[in-house]
Amino acid sequence: MANWTLASLLRGIRTTHWPYRDDVPPGALPARLDGLPHCGTDRAPTADRITWAFRTPNSQGPLPARFRHSMHVRFIDAGANGALISEVRLIDAPPYNLHRFGIFITATPRDADVLLVGGPVTEAMREPLRKAFDAMPTPKRVVAIGDDAIDGGIFGKSFASAGGVASVIPVDFIVPGCPPPPLAIIQGLLAAAGQVTLP
Amino acid sequence: MSGRPEWIDRLRCLSHGAAVEDAGGWVEVRTTSDTMRELAITLVEAHGCEFATLVVEAADTATDGIAMRYFLYTRDDSTVIAIRIDLAEGLPLPSISDRVHAADWHEREAEDLFGIRFDGHPFLGDFVLHDAVWPEDVAPMRRSFDATKRVEQHGLGEAWTPRRILHQEGSIAFPVGPIWADYNEAGMWLLETPGEQIYESQTRLFYKYRAVEKIAEGQAPERGVLLAERFSGSSAFAHAYAYCQALEKIARCEVPPRARILRALFAELERIRYHAATIAELAGSTSLTVGKSMSQEIEERMLRLSGEVCGHRYLFGVCTPGGLASDPGAAALTTLQAGVADAAKEFARLERRFMHTSSYLDRIEEMGTLRPEVADLYGVVGPVARASGRQVDLRRSLPYGVYADHPPEIPREIEGDGYARLRVYFAEIRASTALIQALLAAVPGGPVRAECPVTPGTALAWTEAPAGGTFHWLRIDDAGHIGRWRIGPPGFRNWHAFHRALEGAAFQDFHIVLASFGLSVAESDR
Amino acid sequence: MNLISWAFLALAVALCASILLPSRSRSTGFLAGSWAAVVLVLIASVHSMASGPTQQATPGLLVILPGFGFALSPLRALFLIIAAGVYGVSSPFVLRDVRERSRPRGCLVLAMFVVLFAAVLTVLLAAGVASLLFAWEIMSLALAALVFLGRGEQVETRAGLLTLAFSEAGALAALAGLLVLAGAAGTFSLAGIAAAAPRLSGGIVWAGFLLTFFGFGVKTAIVPVNGWMADAYAAAPRGVLPLFSGATLNLGVFTLWVVDGPLASHALWPALAVLVVGALTALLGIMYAMTESNMTRLLTRSSIENLGIVVAALGAGFAFTAMQRPVLGGLALIAGLYHMLNHSAYKTLLFIGAGGIGNTVGHDDMNRLGGLLRHVPLFGTVFLFGCFAIASLPPFNGFVSEWLILQSLLRIVELGPVPVRIVFGLSGAALALTAGLAVTCFAMLAASTLLGLPRSREAAEARHMPASATAPMVVLIVVCFGLGLWATGVIPVLGRLAAPLTGVDATAYLVPAFFGHATVLAAGVVHDLTQLGAQLGRGLLPLRGLVILHSDAPRAGVVYAMSTALTFAVLACMLLVVWIVTRVLRRRRQVARRAPWNAGIPSLRPEMTYTPTTFGAPVRVLFDAVLNPEVARQEQRQGAFLTARKHQIVHIPLIDRLLLAPLIAGMRGVARLLARMHHGKVTAYASYVLASLVVVVLAAAIALS
Repeated sequence: MANWTLASLLRGIRTTHWPYRDDVPPGALPARLDGLPHCGTDRAPTADRITWAFRTPNSQGPLPARFRHSMHVRFIDAGANGALISEVRLIDAPPYNLHRFGIFITATPRDADVLLVGGPVTEAMREPLRKAFDAMPTPKRVVAIGDDAIDGGIFGKSFASAGGVASVIPVDFIVPGCPPPPLAIIQGLLAAAGQVTLP
Repeated sequence: MSGRPEWIDRLRCLSHGAAVEDAGGWVEVRTTSDTMRELAITLVEAHGCEFATLVVEAADTATDGIAMRYFLYTRDDSTVIAIRIDLAEGLPLPSISDRVHAADWHEREAEDLFGIRFDGHPFLGDFVLHDAVWPEDVAPMRRSFDATKRVEQHGLGEAWTPRRILHQEGSIAFPVGPIWADYNEAGMWLLETPGEQIYESQTRLFYKYRAVEKIAEGQAPERGVLLAERFSGSSAFAHAYAYCQALEKIARCEVPPRARILRALFAELERIRYHAATIAELAGSTSLTVGKSMSQEIEERMLRLSGEVCGHRYLFGVCTPGGLASDPGAAALTTLQAGVADAAKEFARLERRFMHTSSYLDRIEEMGTLRPEVADLYGVVGPVARASGRQVDLRRSLPYGVYADHPPEIPREIEGDGYARLRVYFAEIRASTALIQALLAAVPGGPVRAECPVTPGTALAWTEAPAGGTFHWLRIDDAGHIGRWRIGPPGFRNWHAFHRALEGAAFQDFHIVLASFGLSVAESDR
Repeated sequence: MNLISWAFLALAVALCASILLPSRSRSTGFLAGSWAAVVLVLIASVHSMASGPTQQATPGLLVILPGFGFALSPLRALFLIIAAGVYGVSSPFVLRDVRERSRPRGCLVLAMFVVLFAAVLTVLLAAGVASLLFAWEIMSLALAALVFLGRGEQVETRAGLLTLAFSEAGALAALAGLLVLAGAAGTFSLAGIAAAAPRLSGGIVWAGFLLTFFGFGVKTAIVPVNGWMADAYAAAPRGVLPLFSGATLNLGVFTLWVVDGPLASHALWPALAVLVVGALTALLGIMYAMTESNMTRLLTRSSIENLGIVVAALGAGFAFTAMQRPVLGGLALIAGLYHMLNHSAYKTLLFIGAGGIGNTVGHDDMNRLGGLLRHVPLFGTVFLFGCFAIASLPPFNGFVSEWLILQSLLRIVELGPVPVRIVFGLSGAALALTAGLAVTCFAMLAASTLLGLPRSREAAEARHMPASATAPMVVLIVVCFGLGLWATGVIPVLGRLAAPLTGVDATAYLVPAFFGHATVLAAGVVHDLTQLGAQLGRGLLPLRGLVILHSDAPRAGVVYAMSTALTFAVLACMLLVVWIVTRVLRRRRQVARRAPWNAGIPSLRPEMTYTPTTFGAPVRVLFDAVLNPEVARQEQRQGAFLTARKHQIVHIPLIDRLLLAPLIAGMRGVARLLARMHHGKVTAYASYVLASLVVVVLAAAIALS
């Protein structure tokens, strides 16, 4: 019988200290950003590791202060690719540990304060996405992650793709990247919670 | 491709004198819709051919109709066979999927996207284009369809009802999805149950249909590389690799030896990372949280290793027609060697822990069993097939790149349950690690990229993606644009068989069966 | 007794009205006659309970028959009150049920309904062997006739014949048993047999007990003689089911009390047999209730379960009495009577409710119901409360009686030899399991009919429930609530009824006079309970106390105390607080109403929501070994495609499988053997006659010599 708890205790803490300290391990962010065509978005993240997330022009800004250390997030896959799904799954894995910020993933939009949306919003996901947004209590925010979710990315706008989340529901924060790494997604969520201030 | 002349003779005999020719990459039989069915069934049932993919091409003008190729391949003598039919507009085609069941979803897809009628198929419609969303007569893959605009009309909307297979008093069709659980991909699973046990289920995908094949048409081939990486994401390198191979086959350009080895290295690196994620999900589905965390830690380590070596965590932008986009350099390869060796130890430790956790094994043993005969019937691919006793791996059956010289070890289990799949994942990680170490010792010097001019033509290329074999059919038209690109991803094959693994499973085991399959919806939906 | 005679006259008026008058005045005549009879019976019964002594009467014309007497005692009065009450509240609903049917058939149903009630009254008044069996036979025939008449225009032959067969076999057994007892006791009066019970030999007691217990038990639906019930109830007109379940079932309890009670109170092992049979009946009843998706059948199985609980409680009471613990015996008997009373109240309610739903929607299949609460809120709420009551949730009445029964079974720990303890322990465990399953079962019933989405068009279109169903249900839920809340007022009444059998009135131990001076308890116990609120309302309420206390004797160290009144007060306070808090919160915040979240599917279809079959599946799986469902599987294939998979599940009850099926097979075998003798040769038949004659003559010669 493997003693999982003991083994994990012996391994110690494996979580990055970012953003409290400049602790970004090699490979945690894609190094060769400039070498990659970024799917048409002009807001490519800079490699200086400072700012990944942006506010949209008509953003409502972060949630009220009472959500700062207790915020619930519902992730919606509106046609995201597997890499983005994989990065989202890692945000609350030990290396990044989303819970330390008081941000929690919830299974129903009824309990969610923030909708985290990835993908260009396919035709079949339009209605479910809108329903999920409607089902959320106010105040609520939407964080669109990945280039597809911002403007459709490589998939653009077509008969099958709405060309970004903003064409279906109002978006407050965007996190560019193809896919954005976990740290970037976390930064977007922290911005929605008001824990970091964006330019 | 040793057995090709014999196959040409054999096919001539089987098809009663139809035109059989060597079409370069494959043996092509031109037949009619009357004889096609018999030929396909004979090849699969009597000659052990594997169904590869169905390629449908709409001709430029409406009068020319539709060209269809049923691709099959032989596992023993590495021959690819295409059964070709030129179908006049509006004529039906006999369905082969009641016998060659692997073609089922391919036929349904062709019906939805091209509007081809298949006689004798019981479940046409409501597949790629959901009846709730799309009107009945849309055929988006036709040339005349304008892909840039939203379709004006709408489908059934709220009037849509699920199809029922199970007829039992008081049984229900319990819907899971499309927005469900914490981080799951969009898709719907209708579990038909009288309570407690799932007797029947239906996998309803294509919530994530982004029409990759359609929007690629008319684009420059380089843009196809971006699409190949981004439609799946989690196995980006495998698809980019297959796509680039297709371009290279058309242009008949030779990839430099260094790039050939490096491509195999990165493909195996991706496989290890992909399986690590699957192992993490499987542990998480049984609420073995610490096991999940530890697996995720290794997954993250592999991602960072990829980032360090190639500049991208998911190996985007690495593969390019003619070779690799850039040379990682000797230092990066040293990092890779150390990183993989280190991870191998971690995997071994993790595997030992899993194998000694009886509470975990209790949940996955004899759960989600895909019996070998069912796996054969559905023609499943990849680790799922190999856990159900099927010896299928394109790196061995149809060797490409350096795999002919460095054949990997193919693990195989016969139980077909969740535990067998877990063992296969770990065994494949071991095999890939060994292959990486062997290849690293044999990396030659030289350039990593050859010129690869865009040439008109067609080619079928394939790779063994982490989830199984994938086929890319590519036609470059005379203007040098993508004319038709057909992606046959592994998920499309394995999701098809998923419902058979759920038969008789308890309601609460659905997540575990799902996780044990290790499939990506994005890859299947395209 | 004179009032009762007038009541029979009123019933005759109702009978004539229902057969002879045209339809409008038929209703008036029927209701006037029925309600007059009910009022008369109630007055006579209440008077009898208040005044006490037994009144005897013998009809002059039939005095030639031995044992053809009638009597009215306080105990009989209780049964009469229940029967009359059930008849009174359900008669408007019967009229409603009959209205839509063709005239001769509707008239017959109404007439048989009146005859059945008259027969029930007669059984409850019968004081002698002949009068009891005479009334019993009429009652059985009326009941079978109602089953034959059925719901539609077809005659329900199968269910009717089954009912008739079981009833007649039971009546024959009971006749034999009563004759054995009467012969041994030397009297045909029931009171005489009871008085002679201590003197009877063991063999006579066992023979009489077994024959009468299982013979009369056909009507109480104890195992193994309840195979007819589910089919009969499912076939019978919906309107008469309240009377079936609320009154005729109690007749078995009545005979158990007056015929077997005196026997078992002096013989431990027959008493334990009653206990075990009761517990088994209850457990099997509720287990099979979980397999039903037909509302009527589910309620019928639940009636079997409840009567099983009553029989088990009486068995425990007899056993305690036989072990010379009259106080404990009294407690168990009170609990049993209490449960019977409760069952009559809530089951009448539920059957009227189910009948209302069935008549409005057109079927009883819970898989195709749902969502009624939204359209018929008053009806739905009352039906829901009825489910609460039968699921034994406080403060309703079911809780009190089930609590008392379980507690009284637990008291065996203080006494008794080991085998008796084991029997009590296992029976108690079975009853506890039954209570748990009953909660699941009625959560299933309430949820699948009232909540969720309507799973058929008829259910979606149900907008009104007949007032003839809703109004009686409101009355009955008030009764259920009252019986729960004022338990301390009901128990003394029942205590007096049980006293003649045990010899001691247990009331003082069960409900000590907290409002007066509690003498049977130690001072410390009184003090502790007073601290908990036992004497709240002293001087205001006309009761003995607010707390029911279950204790053996003054020396008992362990005391179990319970108060539905205080529980209700606390619940009400909590609800009030929640209501106030939500009011306050709502004032401060905006409330937005949105469609239920359905995970983004186009629309939540009824076929995607839980049905009783799916809800009950986890429980059914647990008992698969007992239930042993037979599944007929059928698959439709098209090559490799599975296009349809059909499953048909049949639950054949355990008793039918183990006892009836072999019995029927055996009878068939005998019949087949006999058939061999009949091959059509006249000479052979003549020789059979000759042989028989010779045998008879020889036997007579031997007997005479």
